[in-house]
Amino acid sequence: MFTETIDILFIFAVLAPIVYWIGTKVNFNKLVDLWATLGFILSLYLLYFIYEIIKIKEIMVITIAKGLLPISWTFEIDALGVFMASIFVFIGLLTSIYSIRYMERDTGLAEYYILLLLMVAGMVGVVFAGDFFTFFIFWEIMCITSYVLVAFRKEEWEPVEAGFKYLIMSSTGSVMVLFAMSILYGMTGTLNFAYLASSLSNGATNLWSVLALALVVIGFGIKASIVPMHSWLPDAHPAAPSSISAMLSGVVIKAGAYALMRSLLIIFIPEAYNWQVIVAVLAVLTMSVGNLMALLQKDLKRLLAFSSIAQMGYIIFGLSIATFFGLTGGIFHVMNHAIMKSLLFLCSGAFLYAVESRNLDELAGIGRKMKLTGVMFTIGALALAGVPPLNGFQSEYMILFAGIDIGSMNTIWYIFSAIMLLNILFSVGYYLRLIQILMLKEPTKISLKAKEAPLAMLLPMGILAILCIVIGVYPGPFVSYSSSAAKAVLDVGQYVAAIIR
Amino acid sequence: MIGLNFYLITSIILFIIGIYCLAVKRNMIRLIIGIEIITNAANLNFISFSAYAKEGFVDPLARSFVIMSIIIGACIVAVGLTIAVFAYRHYDTLDVRKLSKLRW
Repeated sequence: MFTETIDILFIFAVLAPIVYWIGTKVNFNKLVDLWATLGFILSLYLLYFIYEIIKIKEIMVITIAKGLLPISWTFEIDALGVFMASIFVFIGLLTSIYSIRYMERDTGLAEYYILLLLMVAGMVGVVFAGDFFTFFIFWEIMCITSYVLVAFRKEEWEPVEAGFKYLIMSSTGSVMVLFAMSILYGMTGTLNFAYLASSLSNGATNLWSVLALALVVIGFGIKASIVPMHSWLPDAHPAAPSSISAMLSGVVIKAGAYALMRSLLIIFIPEAYNWQVIVAVLAVLTMSVGNLMALLQKDLKRLLAFSSIAQMGYIIFGLSIATFFGLTGGIFHVMNHAIMKSLLFLCSGAFLYAVESRNLDELAGIGRKMKLTGVMFTIGALALAGVPPLNGFQSEYMILFAGIDIGSMNTIWYIFSAIMLLNILFSVGYYLRLIQILMLKEPTKISLKAKEAPLAMLLPMGILAILCIVIGVYPGPFVSYSSSAAKAVLDVGQYVAAIIR
Repeated sequence: MIGLNFYLITSIILFIIGIYCLAVKRNMIRLIIGIEIITNAANLNFISFSAYAKEGFVDPLARSFVIMSIIIGACIVAVGLTIAVFAYRHYDTLDVRKLSKLRW
């Protein structure tokens, strides 16, 4: 019904409790873990067919009946949607493999896998949606499951507190977007992206549409953790179980970035609303605050959460340039950051699994005891720092050059690009400090007790670390994949023409 | 018949009340109620726009959207209250200022 990729995830989520029950009957508790992994593999396999169709037809529209179009639900899948969905399902698959061992000390695994599968289904639905009705339903599926997953270990104080804070701030963002939708509906009488684009793009801006634009930027900005609205992220991401931190930091905030891209480039087109400089100021603020705060942290996962904020700044900066090169860089960085940050959170989860500590002072020298995990952590940290042969370098410098390129039209973009360059150089400082503490220092008493992580945890980390190197050394196919996504999101005419003939 | 503008003004007042509630109140339950008030402002907007769009015609899109949005609002409240119950068990209070181990 909602494309095979999402259907499979829903079916596997609904059947997970039965599988868990069968697992307890036959004394094989890992059955539900393997079931969820199988669901992700099937979903990724079915996504490949959609990718093949998109490569030929460019846009795929799924709806009940064409005659009902302005008022019925729609899925409109283009290259950007498939690009995002492939990242979401891929990271979901790795997280699910990782959880086989990582979550074995927790109870309530049936609920855990239901929520994980539903969260990925919600995110895929968000990127496939062709109107605000569908978009909002899947958006809320994603949000509600992520609130519960943050507060999953409800016996401890930190997840409960962080989960409540996350729920209040994030649902405030959601209802602001809902209010903006109601204004857009009142102006045009439809919620379909294509109809909204065609009726808003020719009209002049008025008070109501500017109010809607502001609410959309604030609402999606909360989810994408743009700086004045970022304060939930450094609490919620470390409090969740590490596998979920990898999902939240790696892909859920990217859904916010996707929503900003889609609404800002298709509904509120830059020619009419001129939002570029304002969004760029927010982006520059985001990266500076993220990097500065990351330098001060003592908690490993909290440091990584602040570095996520900084990296979101780079992505939003790529979006705010709004040229083909800027968007290619931004979308490419979405993929790279998902890989790098998931790798780092999974590694920090492996440290947590071994010694039950997130404090950097206690973790000092742990890389000497857990050699493989330590090496992978170093690869991820160097990639985030933008060291040349790794993948972070490619996309960060692509965004930077796009910013310098547009500077010939308006000098202010030179200043923004310079601040971004300073941020990249500045961030190398704390990544190197991290590597120095974890890898080079003498092991403390606590880190001496560490043993190497089990195979089911090493495997996803290894895949991500290899991807970091492969994309860095041979970026060609990945760049063309992301540039096709950027071309699709910039081609508003084609997106509209697929719905309105 | 009451004009559309009265509904719009009401919904904007509701929106402002909701934002005020989220910004000022410190009780967990009241924060959740604040979110519900903003949701209702948006729902009222949808319903009034759908009724006034054309003479003698009510748009089914907005009606079904509002029903879905009420259901989703109920889900958010359910999750929020559950987390509030667990927080109450940890801290014996509903005041968010007391939840100060993380900085608000």
